[in-house]
Amino acid sequence: MSPSGTVEVSHVWKRFHADRGRRLLRDHIGRATRKVTGQAGPNPWTWVLRDIDFEITPGEAVGIMGINGAGKSTLLKMISGVMFPHSGNIKVAGRIGALLEVASGIHPELTGRENVTIFGTLLGLTREEIVRKFDEIVAFAELENAIDRQVKFYSSGMKTRLGFSIAAFLEPDVLVVDEVLAVGDQIFQQKCLDRMRTVLESGATLLLVSHDLASMGATATRGIWLSDGVKRADGPIDDVLNGYRRDIEMRSADNATVKGQVKVHELTTVRPGNDIIETNEPLEISFTLDNDQERFLEIFVGVTQGPATPIFVLSKAREFAAGHTPLTISLPRLPLPVGNYYLWIAVRDNRARLPLTPWQPMGPLIVGGQRRLDPVPRAIVRLSPVYVEAEWSI
Amino acid sequence: MSIRRLHSCNAAGNIPKNVMNEPTPANQVADAFPMPVVPATPPPELRYRRALQLGTALRLLVRARHTVWGLMVRQLRSQYSQQVLGLAWALVAPLAQTLVFSVLLTHTGTKNTIRFEGVPPKLFLFIGLVAYSLFSGGVATGGSSLVGNPLLNKVYAPREVFPLAQVGTSVVNAIASAIVFPVLFVIAARGPSLTALWSPLPLMLLLLFTTAVALFVSAITVYARDLRSGLPLILQLGMFAPGVLYPITQVLSSPNVRAVYAGVFPMGTLIDQARQSFFLDRVPDMHLMLICGASTFVWLTLGFMFFKRLETGFADVS
Repeated sequence: MSPSGTVEVSHVWKRFHADRGRRLLRDHIGRATRKVTGQAGPNPWTWVLRDIDFEITPGEAVGIMGINGAGKSTLLKMISGVMFPHSGNIKVAGRIGALLEVASGIHPELTGRENVTIFGTLLGLTREEIVRKFDEIVAFAELENAIDRQVKFYSSGMKTRLGFSIAAFLEPDVLVVDEVLAVGDQIFQQKCLDRMRTVLESGATLLLVSHDLASMGATATRGIWLSDGVKRADGPIDDVLNGYRRDIEMRSADNATVKGQVKVHELTTVRPGNDIIETNEPLEISFTLDNDQERFLEIFVGVTQGPATPIFVLSKAREFAAGHTPLTISLPRLPLPVGNYYLWIAVRDNRARLPLTPWQPMGPLIVGGQRRLDPVPRAIVRLSPVYVEAEWSI
Repeated sequence: MSIRRLHSCNAAGNIPKNVMNEPTPANQVADAFPMPVVPATPPPELRYRRALQLGTALRLLVRARHTVWGLMVRQLRSQYSQQVLGLAWALVAPLAQTLVFSVLLTHTGTKNTIRFEGVPPKLFLFIGLVAYSLFSGGVATGGSSLVGNPLLNKVYAPREVFPLAQVGTSVVNAIASAIVFPVLFVIAARGPSLTALWSPLPLMLLLLFTTAVALFVSAITVYARDLRSGLPLILQLGMFAPGVLYPITQVLSSPNVRAVYAGVFPMGTLIDQARQSFFLDRVPDMHLMLICGASTFVWLTLGFMFFKRLETGFADVS
């Protein structure tokens, strides 16, 4: 018997019916007659998970990443025992707790108090545990004044907080968290993260699915990357996150229409007089603008990590003649810490207020070197995106 | 630590001059994490087979009893919290049906079509309707308790807790409607027979049988959704099955046929027996009760196993 908190996923396969909506008696009859008459119908099955294989030891914090439809939630459902695999096996030792989107389990006709008691039992808390933790749960959900009101008179934020708080006070050996960071306002999100870390510190295993890569990087220690239902990578969170970020950046680069009336060519990034682009050293970004007619253009160049909001954007507005125009942007000191980034470019007509080249990723920017960010423990926040030189006088 | 690692893996990829805007160089990612090669279908020996042991399944179910209780309380509270009359609504339906049927039967010249055997028609009909509402309520709500249930993916208990909680709810409703019995007895100016003490036996069997049918129906409904539309009709027609509104002996005169009826579908026989012990001073027919008991046991075992067999696929389709 493995110790509580172990999750063993061995060669798991899962498939779904392509048309999941219809499941009527007459469909079954149609299928049966086809079988009898020997007609081969279309293959309705799609594999959503193929040969997933990993083992998690107690106390590990694992972030599972992947684009929509990669099979993350299906995997979590199977680990939590709601779904069953087609092939392979899943073993979980100990009690499982899940922080899922639980608002739909909250009954609108009941009061908040009744929901805490009843939904708590449904999620596997004993009655004594609920009595013991009731005040804590209510305080966590910030519902002290509304707890005896019917839930249908709650705002949607209050409802989600209530559902989440009940689930948050399970004391599981394995905590499964699916996209819960999208819940509530920033203050509540921070509370959720804190709660997750508390559970982690008590020795529980954490399985986290999120598209918020920054929070994932700050919480998990190990990353598993699912791509098209296959385990693409499994290793230290930063390595896997980097690979995943690069992959989605390339996907968005592929998706982006490089067309536009103004074209950008030959983007290069150089550190003058040196091979390695380094933090706090000069950087030159050069590219050629291919303009079809004389225009007043505004150019934007941004740097991102993951295709989210840019870390910084540089812009320039001026008149450009038709034809090729080479440009160079010089940065005296690059404020980015060591890491992999992406350069984005957009061009628009400043007079007509028309986008000529939509905001799109153009290519990677790799920062190497020895300069590091000041180390910050996980419990604070490790997500500092820029490098800043500073002097402390004490 | 993470930063050092980042650096070391970048050192190789540090290209001083990256010429871009060509088709993106896919090799950089592919080098670090190449897409693994996985066969198109799993090897057949890996096929997941859940070892289903009746004992283990029952033990897990017993462990989930709090969940069943929680679901019942949730259902009942929400059902009645909004209504002025509260639980009293549960007795309105059989009471109204009783009134309609007794008016129909006593005032349209068809009085003698049903052999009430000396029991006041209202009492006679009411007990049948209450017992039948236990069955039909349990099957209807239990049967549809899995499809589209938002809790299905959130509650980590054996799936049968959902139909079981619904059957439990319909028991509470049936008990609530039985409150009106004393009133009916006063109106009819007669009390129950002493053999009424026997009536819990057929009623308990009826409850178990209801559970069995609810398990079957709920599992089938997940895979054949259109059963949900047909179910109310079937349950409405079931009210006219022998034994519910009229004595079985009235239509099935041969004892052998009655035994077969009890063995195949004990619902009507159980209601009939409960009514006889309640009003007619008759101890339940032990021969028939034995058949009903055996049949209920078989139904329940098969229903549970059928449910557990299909259970692994519920979350995929509902």
